[in-house]
Amino acid sequence: MEHLQTSPTLKPGETFEQQKKKFDRWWFLVFGVILLIIILVFLEPDPYQRIVLFVSDGIGVTVYTTLVSFVLVLIFGLIGGLGRLSKNRIINGLATVYVEVVRGIPLLVQLLFWYFAFPSVIKNFGSTLGIESLANYRADPLLMAILGLTFCYSAYMSEVYRAGIQSISRGQMEAARSLGMSYVQAMRFVILPQALRVILPPVGNEFITLLKDSSLVSVVAVADMTRRGREFMAANFIPVQTWLMIALLYLVLTLVSARIVNWIEKKTRLER
Amino acid sequence: MEPIIHIKDVHKYFGRVQALRGVSLDINKGEVVVIIGPSGSGKSTLLRCINRLEEFDHGQIIVDNIPLDSAENINLVRTEVGMVFQQFNLFPHLSVLDNLTLAQKAVRKRSKKEAEEIAFQLLKKVGIPEKANVFPLQLSGGQQQRVAIARALAMNPKIMLFDEPTSALDPEMIQEVLDVMLDLAKEGMTMVVVSHEMGFARAAANRAILMDEGLIVEEATPDILFTNPTQERTKLFLSKILD
Ligand SMILES: Nc1ncnc2c1ncn2[C@@H]1O[C@H](COP(=O)(O)OP(=O)(O)OP(=O)(O)O)[C@@H](O)[C@H]1O
Ligand SMILES: [Mg+2]
Repeated sequence: MEHLQTSPTLKPGETFEQQKKKFDRWWFLVFGVILLIIILVFLEPDPYQRIVLFVSDGIGVTVYTTLVSFVLVLIFGLIGGLGRLSKNRIINGLATVYVEVVRGIPLLVQLLFWYFAFPSVIKNFGSTLGIESLANYRADPLLMAILGLTFCYSAYMSEVYRAGIQSISRGQMEAARSLGMSYVQAMRFVILPQALRVILPPVGNEFITLLKDSSLVSVVAVADMTRRGREFMAANFIPVQTWLMIALLYLVLTLVSARIVNWIEKKTRLER
Repeated sequence: MEPIIHIKDVHKYFGRVQALRGVSLDINKGEVVVIIGPSGSGKSTLLRCINRLEEFDHGQIIVDNIPLDSAENINLVRTEVGMVFQQFNLFPHLSVLDNLTLAQKAVRKRSKKEAEEIAFQLLKKVGIPEKANVFPLQLSGGQQQRVAIARALAMNPKIMLFDEPTSALDPEMIQEVLDVMLDLAKEGMTMVVVSHEMGFARAAANRAILMDEGLIVEEATPDILFTNPTQERTKLFLSKILD
């Protein structure tokens, strides 16, 4: 999606203040797609309105799954990123192994693992040890899907954090420490606020990729937009209209996300 | 009198490079010591060992009678010792005022109001009270370095370390920074200054030290060291920087 993000660059003679206030023209593309959906729904309620109504709960599930996973990814990615930067060999080693292993396995396989294999491992464990509650363990699809997405994306995100923190000059940490700040204080007040600005574009990119990849949870019994689309198609046999509408709905979500990322990026620019 | 900084036989390695090879130096309260020497002679490393930005491998450094043996003590020493860097290292995402108040609030646990009062006093002292709400990168180099000095002073340090504070500045801005440092010296601040500014050394320093290859080669008053050194290496170095 990078090509759609169109980072704000200054035109000659333009100040940051002017640029901050300027309307982001890429919103027109978003409005265009929304308009197209509305036209389709009104001009041909059958099947388009039916499709939208049928998958509407799936839209909620897709958005919810993505948002919850992403908040968790932001937290665990930070932990992973700091682990990758740690001078402690054990912590560093664990973080590195985690990142390398996760990046080497397809997300779909990971999701299948969390949904099918993980609960079965827990069950076996429970019955061997005679723990009733574990032996009867039943995986909640949504929970497992969020777990799977978070586990995978946190690995990628920790690399984003690591690169961002490394891009801040060493002098910043030294100045903070020489003022008596602890490592945690220096990270929190000096390094991370700067690193977050740097990594905003790749973080936004991760969000949009996560949003799209969340469609994979449809194979592990989560009734997201994609799964609802498949159900609609199975009942009505109109693949072209169904997948056109689903595609447009995803497109609205990703385009809006890209604009929001762009807006935050402009807002948080450093004055210079 | 007990020295406020006691350095004894300090050795420091970076991998196989030996940056310090047994440096001993005592600095008394209120003294201003200027360190000169060729590039790579270990000047910065010595300064950074004093506030433990750098660990050393052998020897002892005692600052203000605080032994540097635990993490808390290291932070305690760092609050007693202010440091000014060649590259200023101001926090670019914070306004000048916030640069000065951040550590006061986080480390000294001062209230916002108290911290800001101190910040404004110090900005006045370094001659840029009107820049409180500006961001660092909007300032000239000289102004940035004066803010950096004020930021360090806001912690009420007993000692100030300066690592080539004017080397990154355009010539016309050097004096404004040196003036601030001269004022500090007059007020009796203990200062260790790595700098080749001879004018400053002569006006403010009690002692000048020449380092070379990780060792203190010669130590004298600035006038004697600059005009009448005894060591060959000092003469050689001075002849290089004087032309
Ligand atoms: N972080 C580091 N890693 C490896 N070697 C280092 C590091 N810092 C310094 N050194 C080495 O230690 C020696 C002393 O360096 P130091 O920076 O103390 O010299 P200096 O006298 O301050 O020089 P300059 O005038 O160029 O600032 C040099 O050989 C340098 O290459
Ligand atoms: Mg140096």
